Amino acid sequence: MSETAAALALMAPPEAVKAPAYTAEELARYDGIVQRYARHVYNIAYRMTGNEADARDLSQEAFLRVYRALRRVEPGAPLESWLYRIVSNLYIDLLRRRPKARVESLDAPIDTPRGELTREFPDVAANPEAVFEREHIDGAIQQALGVLSPDLRMVVVLSDIEGFAYEEIAAILRVPLGTVKSRLHRARQVLQVRLRPYVAARRRGWQV
Amino acid sequence: MNHHRAGRLLSAYVDSELTAAETRAVQAHLLDCAACRDAYENLRAARDLLAGLPPAEPEGEFWAAIRGPVMRRATAAASAGWAGRLRAQLWPAPRAQWASVARLPWPGIAGRRPGLVLAGVLIALALSALPLVRGTVDRLHATEIGVDLYVHDHAMQMGTAPLVDRAYVGLVAGDAELVLAGNTPRPVGDSVR
Repeated sequence: MSETAAALALMAPPEAVKAPAYTAEELARYDGIVQRYARHVYNIAYRMTGNEADARDLSQEAFLRVYRALRRVEPGAPLESWLYRIVSNLYIDLLRRRPKARVESLDAPIDTPRGELTREFPDVAANPEAVFEREHIDGAIQQALGVLSPDLRMVVVLSDIEGFAYEEIAAILRVPLGTVKSRLHRARQVLQVRLRPYVAARRRGWQV
Repeated sequence: MNHHRAGRLLSAYVDSELTAAETRAVQAHLLDCAACRDAYENLRAARDLLAGLPPAEPEGEFWAAIRGPVMRRATAAASAGWAGRLRAQLWPAPRAQWASVARLPWPGIAGRRPGLVLAGVLIALALSALPLVRGTVDRLHATEIGVDLYVHDHAMQMGTAPLVDRAYVGLVAGDAELVLAGNTPRPVGDSVR
């Protein structure tokens, strides 16, 4: 079990908050919610955290909350806002509990006893073919997302990856529409710079 | 529209999230400004890159974890077989409003110690029935032997048995519309002598 899972378990041990015994229809309804939203929840969690273990823990915790609150959820009510806000809040909780996990600039030299080191990245010019492979570009985008602050990252994930409109994002994150616009603007400025070779290739008509 | 303002609107323009007037203004500016056209193309390419990301696929383990409750119920129903199905027919699952009552602690005791609970209920019933029975018996007795004799009996008893309740005697006597000891009965309609 990962550190996150252990922390989440401490926060709300499953034995302590027993879900009531549900009827078959209620379980079927829960299953329907899972079928409909689980992929999106996981995808958002994955793009926010950048790793599978945390994404899994976040999504599981989110669905545990859905399960416990099942009777309070109206059948057929759209859960998007509520569910994605839970994911967003859980992610912020995760960051709070892990003060050590700070964002580091990849360009900045690392201080070591033997002097300063700089990170090495695969040179785009040395092997142009490999750079544009699917896994490589996924990793590069994920890395670029990781550089953004959580607020900016969430807006980008909801807008560009999940395809929500600005108003929907404002409703999910409970921020004004103008804030969504300005965050997205700032986030894209950063992403463009981080992903320059890919952006340039894309403009030349390259597709994966 | 100036260059700076257009630059700030470009991101929303890429997403078609501007008002009609803003959209027209940005389009007009793009025709004039090569730098903004370049920035616009970059923004669009960056957005398309992100939009083209394949969705992250969770593993099977993840599905098992979040669908756990559903799966458990399904396997339990399957293993219960015909006996389980018959039981489910005879005693359908408790309705939602009863489920919250069932969560209270007290029915748990009834399940574990039925004898104890039964004894408690019987004692409570006996204690509440005792005064009713005794009161009725005493009233019958009082009317049978006559008021004066009844009160006299009890007045005598009070000297020897101090635990007899005087208030209770008074109550019984009053209830039966008797005249208390010391007062002679007055004929009705003879209030003025």
